[in-house]
Amino acid sequence: MAPKKVEPKKPEPKKPEAKKEEAPAPAPVPETPKEPEVDLKSVPLDFSPDQIEEFRDAFTLFDETPTGEMKIRYAQCGDVMRALGHNPTNADVLTVLGKPKAEEMNTKYLDFETFLPMLQHVSRAKDQGTFEDFVEGLRVFDKEGNGTVMGAELRHVLATLGEKMTEDEADRLMAGQEDANGCINYTSFIKHILSG
Amino acid sequence: MMHRSVSPAPPAAAATAMRAALLIQRWYRQYVARLEMRRRCTWNIFQSIEYSGQQDHIKLYNFFSFLMEHFGRSEGVCVSPPASLVSQMFGERSVCQDEPWEKHCCYTHIQLPDGYSGPHLTFPLTLSGVTELLHAFRNKQLHARYVLQLLGKTWTLLRLMPNISTVSTGTHTEITICGDLHGHLEDLLLIFYKNGFPSAETPYVFNGDYVDRGKESMEVLLVLFAFLLLYPHDMHLNRGNHEDHIVNLRYGFTKEVLSKYRVHGKLILELLQKIFSRLPLATIINQKVLIVHGGISDQTDLNVISKLQRHRFVSALRPLRRWDWPPDPEPDEDSSVYRRRVQSLTHCSPLRRHTPTHTARHSLHAGTGRCVEEELRERRRLAEDPELQHTHTDADEWKQIVDILWSDPMAQNGCVPNKVRSGGCLWGPDVTHAVLDKHQLQMLIRSHECKQEGYEFCHSGRVLTIFSASNYYDVGSNRGAYIRLGPDLVPHFKQFQASRSTRELTLRQSVGRTERSALQALKMQLFAHKSALIREFQEYDPERAGLVSLEHWAVVVEKVLQLSLPWRVLRSQLVSSSTQDGLLHYQDWVNQLSVLQPNTEIANTSLLETLYKHHSNLESIFRMIDTDHSGLISLEEFHQTWRLLSAHLQTDISDAAIAELAHSIDFNKDGSIDINEFMEAFRLVEHSRAERTAE
Repeated sequence: MAPKKVEPKKPEPKKPEAKKEEAPAPAPVPETPKEPEVDLKSVPLDFSPDQIEEFRDAFTLFDETPTGEMKIRYAQCGDVMRALGHNPTNADVLTVLGKPKAEEMNTKYLDFETFLPMLQHVSRAKDQGTFEDFVEGLRVFDKEGNGTVMGAELRHVLATLGEKMTEDEADRLMAGQEDANGCINYTSFIKHILSG
Repeated sequence: MMHRSVSPAPPAAAATAMRAALLIQRWYRQYVARLEMRRRCTWNIFQSIEYSGQQDHIKLYNFFSFLMEHFGRSEGVCVSPPASLVSQMFGERSVCQDEPWEKHCCYTHIQLPDGYSGPHLTFPLTLSGVTELLHAFRNKQLHARYVLQLLGKTWTLLRLMPNISTVSTGTHTEITICGDLHGHLEDLLLIFYKNGFPSAETPYVFNGDYVDRGKESMEVLLVLFAFLLLYPHDMHLNRGNHEDHIVNLRYGFTKEVLSKYRVHGKLILELLQKIFSRLPLATIINQKVLIVHGGISDQTDLNVISKLQRHRFVSALRPLRRWDWPPDPEPDEDSSVYRRRVQSLTHCSPLRRHTPTHTARHSLHAGTGRCVEEELRERRRLAEDPELQHTHTDADEWKQIVDILWSDPMAQNGCVPNKVRSGGCLWGPDVTHAVLDKHQLQMLIRSHECKQEGYEFCHSGRVLTIFSASNYYDVGSNRGAYIRLGPDLVPHFKQFQASRSTRELTLRQSVGRTERSALQALKMQLFAHKSALIREFQEYDPERAGLVSLEHWAVVVEKVLQLSLPWRVLRSQLVSSSTQDGLLHYQDWVNQLSVLQPNTEIANTSLLETLYKHHSNLESIFRMIDTDHSGLISLEEFHQTWRLLSAHLQTDISDAAIAELAHSIDFNKDGSIDINEFMEAFRLVEHSRAERTAE
């Protein structure tokens, strides 16, 4: 069974606002510029109490500790943030977690109070990517200029570029998208992903 | 980075491609995470509703105890209506006595109809006969004559078995252990096709809960019993908490049997009642692995269990009474003594919200105001009295059985009464270690709880839950699993999921389906609390503008339903219309949850709501009253039952209102109420704008 101890990472969010459940908007603190290490102490929270309760609900759904300690593994952090509607890259998640080692991802835990400023930080990210950005990107692979890409090629790209996907992930993503010739109409494909 | 694509893209395109890949990967991962959250939400909903449904069970049990407490039993003496009704409900005492049964259980006079095209059974059974039966079950039903014949032989065999079966694997054999099946014939067949039919080389243990919920409970039983008769040394069947006729009244098995066997259903059910009480309570493998359906408590003592007379404990929901004892001629007992015996140690005051931290236990009858410790002291005092010696032992034995069949593990140390079910305990790791060590056992395998992956370990791997009914809540909700255990006693798991269509659905589609069904069930729960919800909403709407904020919606719903669900995460799906600028028209919203489809004009809507709230218990009670299983009860019986129930529930529904209701439900005005029609009248239907009538 996974250990329940949580070792606090360097950025310790000890500000009183983060601890209280129904915290009103805290006094404005200038946000520190983005650095390789995120200083969570100085991330002001501007979520409403109701939103915080909602996040708490979601957090609880992912709590797998046997006694319901309201903690999630580091490895789950990205998923919880995504489930709440943000989409950090894996690199973003690692940054906000303080660049933990690979083996720590499944052994270290964080609690809700630690999670909140991380979520806030991630929610401020710009450059979410528009529909057009996607289309532009996939058009590169549209050899015949007819609005389709080869499923196999797309799989290859997703598995070798960027934050590589596993074969399994790629299969799931493409389930039901390829036609009889193995082609994907990328406009509808993108709509499919964006509507999830 | 090496590009291994067939036609290498130019540099600028490469950068774009990279960005595109990153975008897609990010969004995909978000898509998956959101699906995962929806899936967990859905699971939570089903589990919460299932547990809150168990609360109904507790109410039912309390109601029965209330009846027996206040109305006693009758012995052919002229008694007032309520007592005779109670007697009628619990009048199956004859079932407990074995001897007359041999004479009654006569299938030979049952003729097969000329056109019968279903399977034939010849005895002694052969493997080919049984496999033919399996094939026939695809679209045929076994005739009642054969059913009774098979069940009769099963009963004869089971009577010879000890309470605890002991099995050894020998040096080479692996034994297969399956969990709850709940009428899922497809899952059972899947297991047999994947793992092999039972035989000397492929022995099986089935861990209870063969019936209820699924639609083919009868067929599951027949298959299992057929293999049991064929290979009595290689098939081991444990009793589950659903092998209990009162539980069956509520969860569908009784209905299934009566509708499949209109003429002989009653006889079949009575024989099954005896069979269920004769099923062994536990199986032990190689003296090291204990297999029971529910679990254990800190009082569990296998020595006591192996010595008791298991067939006397017919139902966990029917509190033990004096007349369940060996049939000696009894003098007329003092009724106050009788009342003390009815009280049970394992049941607490109802309707406390289940929290991990336990609160003080109280006796079932609030009137005495005694907590369990005081109750125990009182009982010990009674036990000193030699005349009343039986009471103490009987209560102990009863508790041993209920604990085995109904308990659940918990993460914290300790052992507390299981308030979410109608009996048994929640037991912690310390109890596991204590009980297993005391009996020199290595491991406990149990079932009783649905698990996403079909199995789950807890208590440092010493307790293993195995569940074999896939898609238990709905299509796509969970996998089933079974265990292969060899001489090394290291469990190996095989998982499966029935239903071809699930594999074809995409992840999103299957999550969507289960989710829709969970939300529908949740809406029904919300509807059942309609008045309380409106009352609470009004607290936040002092000026009666008819609006509350969405924040307050969440607070109210959480408070009224008492289900620990992620309401704010679910909010957008439960409150899709009726909102205006972040405010909710709550009356509209409540009304739109669903529409009752009564065929009658029932003016009294609070009566309607109360009836709906208790309708599943009502159904159970009606079916108990309907002793000839005709599907009809008289108006008078209906009226009496309702009066009793409302006295117990302390509702303030007038006699006149009930009489009016009874008459309006008697659709063809012949003085009797068809139970099925009655239940249909209170079936909630999806809200449909076209059909909706103004309230």
